[in-house]
Amino acid sequence: MDRDSAEWWELVAKGVLAVQRCDSCGLARFPARAFCAACRTEGWSWARLAPLGVVESWIVSHWRAPEPFTVVRVRPAEAPGCVMYGTWRGEREPRQGERVVPLFTDQPSIEWRPADASGSDA
Amino acid sequence: MAKRLLDFRDATALAGIGYTSFSKDSGVSTLTLACRAIMSALDDAGLGPDDVDGIATHRVGDSAAPSLVGPALGIHAPAWHLDQFGGGSVSHAIVGQAALAVAAGIADVVVCYRAINARSEFRMGSAPNPSPETQYLAPYGYGAPVQQFAMYARTHMLKYGTKAEHFGQVAVAQRAYAARNPRALMRRPITMSDYLASRPIAEPLRLLDCCLETDGAVAVVVTTAERARDLRRPPVLISGAAWGGGDSFLSPGEPTVTAAAALAPRLYGMAGVGPADIDVAELYDCFTYSVIVQLEDYGFCAKGEGGPFAASGEGPPVNTHGGFLSEGYVHGLNHVAEAVSQLRGDAGERQVAGAEVALSTAQPGHILPATSALILRRG
Ligand SMILES: [Zn+2]
Repeated sequence: MDRDSAEWWELVAKGVLAVQRCDSCGLARFPARAFCAACRTEGWSWARLAPLGVVESWIVSHWRAPEPFTVVRVRPAEAPGCVMYGTWRGEREPRQGERVVPLFTDQPSIEWRPADASGSDA
Repeated sequence: MAKRLLDFRDATALAGIGYTSFSKDSGVSTLTLACRAIMSALDDAGLGPDDVDGIATHRVGDSAAPSLVGPALGIHAPAWHLDQFGGGSVSHAIVGQAALAVAAGIADVVVCYRAINARSEFRMGSAPNPSPETQYLAPYGYGAPVQQFAMYARTHMLKYGTKAEHFGQVAVAQRAYAARNPRALMRRPITMSDYLASRPIAEPLRLLDCCLETDGAVAVVVTTAERARDLRRPPVLISGAAWGGGDSFLSPGEPTVTAAAALAPRLYGMAGVGPADIDVAELYDCFTYSVIVQLEDYGFCAKGEGGPFAASGEGPPVNTHGGFLSEGYVHGLNHVAEAVSQLRGDAGERQVAGAEVALSTAQPGHILPATSALILRRG
């Protein structure tokens, strides 16, 4: 992790899903950066988001791994202009547009599981 | 069109191309590969190292620098050099920048090379990537090019109904070209059944969607159009050269649109041509999907129609050497060299009859948010 992102990772370690919000124009931004790309000002605050995302896409990777694993591309429900990635923690393949909730690991990292309780096809 | 851009159009030329053999283990250093490809390209042009006053490459910490290659070939005190950091997205930018240096009169003869031992020494996805953005991917075992392109390919399938068979047709068609290319690593024809049966690498992409990790080098010689006319081979004019930015894997933009969409109008405008004028297209094919998305973003078909369009065989012949999928992966300069062969009419059994204008492109900007491309014309 780099200096721009250190605080974001600290929030992840505390189980908080957050993005920066520009103090000037309100734009949500991720990953962490000093400048707002819209209004080019430096002031910003952490915006804590509801722990909810929407699946945009996913892969099932077999590449140099003993077992296949699934990685999802997710947009936070409260910051749809931001993109995050994470390991999929469901019993089945993800579905486009489905709602997912973050699981915060000790690594720290964010993984995603289906918002419906079972995560199965049942 | 600005006058200076009109002055640049067709002012410089590709006067020679050179190759090493392609293999899974070259047994030699990237410095040796670079020297061999450069000597081959200079010989093709009817020039020698004493004529060279500019050297350019791109690399990602995996190859010999111009500062090694120059002294190794006795090219002392070159007037211009470029050691561009970057992978496939800048492969064509180094040729464009060499053309700028030549057009400006800073250098007269520039050799551009790419030398890699991409199978035996430096496998893609293994080397640490210095971008801070990778911290958001690495915890998930994600970030290798095949994984990132698979994510975009899935998005395209979900949004536009693009099918595995569309990707498969790209692989099958390029293998058919490779069967007519003596340089190609993979020449045995494949069928759609072979494609569909190939093992998953990062679903939805399969083994036969992926480029071949290759050891080898390619070099091209850039000089003025005027000087090129007096050399050994028919000149191939650089009509347009463009590079520029797009969105990265963490940007909020539309994931099925690459940096090529923003670059294409500039490139065509510079060259004074449009997609309908392109006789042959050598499109960066790290994976089959990148061909499909570029057919859209370079304007050969509408957004979303790249899959059926590629499978239909409409549009110009694409990747007549077999591309990275079947000839070998030399990170982009082998696409430039093939375009030169086609425009000179010396592409042998795979020659496209009457080819006068070619488009050749770099990685369309999905991984690093930039791309580059050239439009070349028979001189
Ligand atoms: Zn702002």
